[in-house]
Amino acid sequence: MTSADLYYLMPLIIIAGASVVMLLVIGFYRDHTVTFILSILGLAGAFISLAYIRGLPREIGALVIVDSYALFYWGLITLASLAVAILSYGYFSKMEEEKEEYYVLLLTATLGSLVLVVSRNFVSFFMGLEILSVSLYALVAYLPERKRSVEAGIKYLVLAAASSAFLLFGMALVYAESGTMDFLKLGAHLNSGAVNTPLILAGFALMVIAVGFKLALAPFHMWTPDVYEGAPAPVTAFVATVSKGGMFALWFRFFTEVNGYRFNSLMILFTVIAIASMFIGNFLALLQNNVKRILAYSSIAHLGYLLIAFLAGGRMGLEAGTFYLVAYFITTLGTFGIVTVLSFKERDADSLDDYRALYWRRPLLATAFTAMLMSLAGIPLTAGFVGKFYLAAAGVNTALWLPVIILVINSAISVYYYLKIVVVMYRSPEEEVVAGMPVMTVSPALSVGGGIVLSVLTIMLVWFGTFPGGIIDFIKIMISGISSTAITMVP
Amino acid sequence: MLELLWIVPALPFLGFLILALIGSRMPGKTAAAIGVASIGLSALLTVFIGINFISSPPAGRVYIQTLWEWFNVAGLNPGIALRLDAVSLTFIFVITFVGFLIHLYSVEYMEGEEGYSRFFAYMNLFVGSMLMLVLGDNLVLLYLGWEGVGLCSYLLIGFWYKDPANGYAARKAFIVTRVGDTAMAIGLFILFTELGSLNIGRLLEVAPLNWPVGSSMPVLAAALLLGGAVGKSAQLPLQTWLPDAMAGPTPVSALIHAATMVTAGVYLIARMHVIFTLAPVVLTIVGVIGALTLLLAGFSALTQHDIKRVLAYSTISQIGYMFLALGVGAWSAAVFHFMIHAFFKALLFLGAGVVILALHHEQNMFKMGGVRKMIPVTFWTFLIGSASLAALPLVTGGFYSKDLILFYAFDGERANRWLYAAGLLGALITALYTTRMVLLTFFGEAKTHLHHKPTWIMEMPLVVLAVLSTFGGFVELPHTLGHLTLFSDFMQTILPGNQVAEGGISTELILQLTAAVTAILGIFIAYMLYYKNPERVTALRRSAFGSRLHAFWKKGWGFDWLYDTLFVNPIVWIAEVNKSDFIDLIYTFIAWVNRMFNRAFSFTQSGRLRWYAMGIALGAIITLTIAVFL
Repeated sequence: MTSADLYYLMPLIIIAGASVVMLLVIGFYRDHTVTFILSILGLAGAFISLAYIRGLPREIGALVIVDSYALFYWGLITLASLAVAILSYGYFSKMEEEKEEYYVLLLTATLGSLVLVVSRNFVSFFMGLEILSVSLYALVAYLPERKRSVEAGIKYLVLAAASSAFLLFGMALVYAESGTMDFLKLGAHLNSGAVNTPLILAGFALMVIAVGFKLALAPFHMWTPDVYEGAPAPVTAFVATVSKGGMFALWFRFFTEVNGYRFNSLMILFTVIAIASMFIGNFLALLQNNVKRILAYSSIAHLGYLLIAFLAGGRMGLEAGTFYLVAYFITTLGTFGIVTVLSFKERDADSLDDYRALYWRRPLLATAFTAMLMSLAGIPLTAGFVGKFYLAAAGVNTALWLPVIILVINSAISVYYYLKIVVVMYRSPEEEVVAGMPVMTVSPALSVGGGIVLSVLTIMLVWFGTFPGGIIDFIKIMISGISSTAITMVP
Repeated sequence: MLELLWIVPALPFLGFLILALIGSRMPGKTAAAIGVASIGLSALLTVFIGINFISSPPAGRVYIQTLWEWFNVAGLNPGIALRLDAVSLTFIFVITFVGFLIHLYSVEYMEGEEGYSRFFAYMNLFVGSMLMLVLGDNLVLLYLGWEGVGLCSYLLIGFWYKDPANGYAARKAFIVTRVGDTAMAIGLFILFTELGSLNIGRLLEVAPLNWPVGSSMPVLAAALLLGGAVGKSAQLPLQTWLPDAMAGPTPVSALIHAATMVTAGVYLIARMHVIFTLAPVVLTIVGVIGALTLLLAGFSALTQHDIKRVLAYSTISQIGYMFLALGVGAWSAAVFHFMIHAFFKALLFLGAGVVILALHHEQNMFKMGGVRKMIPVTFWTFLIGSASLAALPLVTGGFYSKDLILFYAFDGERANRWLYAAGLLGALITALYTTRMVLLTFFGEAKTHLHHKPTWIMEMPLVVLAVLSTFGGFVELPHTLGHLTLFSDFMQTILPGNQVAEGGISTELILQLTAAVTAILGIFIAYMLYYKNPERVTALRRSAFGSRLHAFWKKGWGFDWLYDTLFVNPIVWIAEVNKSDFIDLIYTFIAWVNRMFNRAFSFTQSGRLRWYAMGIALGAIITLTIAVFL
């Protein structure tokens, strides 16, 4: 490793440095706003530094590879963290707990996710995952006054630890068979033909458990609603986006590098997982009345959709998956952002009743939420529609008929519970009072930052839905820079 | 200049968005100002674009503005583009200009109504959709506008939704036109599967290369498109919705149900003229439908009591003329008549609106009378509009446009004497009912006192429209009178011309004299019958046959009854019998299955950590089994 290599790791260094600086500052001067500004500076600095990285791809040691694919995901993740941080400020301003360490944890968790994106070795993979997970345990349980927050933290800790154990065991099996932890060498080894397939497959399968856990895919999804509901709303947004995005980027890289597509049984496994996730997520959301839980279940289904892109593989699959993930990031940050800004000091705005007649109290917020939900449902002129269309196109191109048909069926099911929220928001307060429904008359004041983040997200949502050409071209360029020997680039 | 074309439809949509989002919170004046200004600016821009287009025409006389490509994934790339040529320019001019005048008029007409800003929001949405319809470069966009205007029509007919009758009229309009829309949609599918594109320019190019004249495909496609056109344009057999559509506020009737939307069918056929020329049978049917409709509606207009219903039937009848013109291949004559008709029909509706408002929402002409002195401006402009409708020779625009149609029906390349005769008879009836309407409304004894005196806001549009419906006709003068062909020359950059088969100046002169005499004769008969000795009409109506015929005509030739018996009642009967809908069972079953699954899966979400850990363990077993053993 040379000093020039450090230059390529600038975003990681900036974020790590920022978190250290923040810890020091907190030690001497405890102030919410100062810590917040420092975290913003760190994240924004990391994002800006991306623009100065040239000469890709670059291998750094045996552990890390920086290519334009990684750069894209780095950008996506830092922006998402930035949005979460800004939303958090308004949210935590109301709280009485010590808020400052929250931002430190947010930065370290982001760091973990960023490490995942550039990993090309089991070691960095595991390291990134653990940096991310350990920070998340604390983040999920950050509001000790709330019983559910602590409960969610413990659940997450136990289950994530168990899944990490599976991951390690899976890596061990793969290492035992191949004698390498490097993705590249592993791929070469598998190509050589002299492979003890059952051992490798067992190793992969055990790794899938951990990946499935992080991505909240069925049947490893059960923690999702409890943790989403219990965690503070901005943390939920973080868990749903940043932590999943890093894992997806890594897993796609790993799987194409070792060309897991050659193993038919793994393809069957992912098909089963995809279908199960879609159905389970949507069915569970159907009669749910807790908005955070609805969104949790919906995210299970959405990751199931995303697996279609993963199954399709190749250039088209990667493009579709990445675009879908971008749309998913926007809508998820938006929906949880709205939950965040509507939350009270004592509790999050997670009951459907909190949204009753919202349009008459907060027309703009309700409109933005409607747009987000429409995007999740895949209604045209939103990013969600283009993303879903892209997924279906990728699936059809690779003849994945069954998952695509199930995607369509599930889209129909999901409309029910998305529209349920919309309907509730637009009922007039008078009618609701007559019907004996509880109607809120006050809602918390909207913070400036929260307002800006939500408007930007809504604009992006409609922008990418009506003019997706620009972002698609950008994704194509960035994706094509993936440094992989094995990727089968289907034109 | 032409690059600004997209702003023309964008402004009304913007106005709609503003009004829909925050219209109810702003004072009525602001809402009205937004509504009127957005259309006014659009109209102004259209004028500039029009001048620019005519003075320095783009290559091929067609200007295509590609706004954006929605997406380009897996070979599907729906583009959004606008198409400006002679036809669409004429249409957008009429839509924005007449639309603006009617918006202005509505400021006063709708004053104090509940839902004032809602009214302007709908009207703006309507103008935007209509502009989309005529500017769309492909049929999908056209269809989008087509459905958009349908929706606005529904919303505005039922504007006073608290009266169930208005809701009924709105639903009727929506459902009846839907029959046509369905046919049109199927037509579009056929065009797309057969010709591989829905781009208008491309279709017109490709169709003649792929389809021989008179072969079954173009006949089928043209017939289906015609289905859409008769629905929207209220022609036989789907004309029944238009008279009921008068339930909406009068400015709505003026804009949507007289001047613009109902002529969408004419636009569609003119736009797709190549397809129709490939299907001469269908083109003949277009002419026959037009002739029949103009006669039936004319007779019905003769018997109405409600002034707006007279105008509604007269609209159906006048659009019948346009269809007749299309049927005989007189494309530019149809568009010409559309333009003049838009001017004078909007004028008549707005004038009627003034009278209705002046007499405290009285619409029955037999309870009006003698108001000419109370509202002189309205009276004179209404008279000018009526003269144009009755095609009073030489001085009115209506004369020139109708004369052109009759001329081509008699002497054009697809001339048909029967159609000509129907047109001529129609002209007589038109003069009759128009004169009857004017006499009953404005002359005779005053029966009620004045309730609302119009201000300049309502009178200004009347005057402008009166000027237009008179001088608008002078852009196209026949050979015998000055021979000016500005309009048809302009149209023929896009639409094919029509060769006159035989005759010459003398034939044309005879035809004109006939038409002129017919119109004057009609006016004279009406004067004698309804003014000089109205007893004769009363006697005629009292006679056994007369009263039955009167009732039959008044009810629009019993079409409502026929459709009620044939379609509505059987369906209502089936619905009655099948109250506990057995087909619904399928859907309730699906919902039930979903709920069951929900319950089953909810059981797994117990909230217990050990259960979740067990879930992961179980998942691990499944995963390993699939990965290793499959």
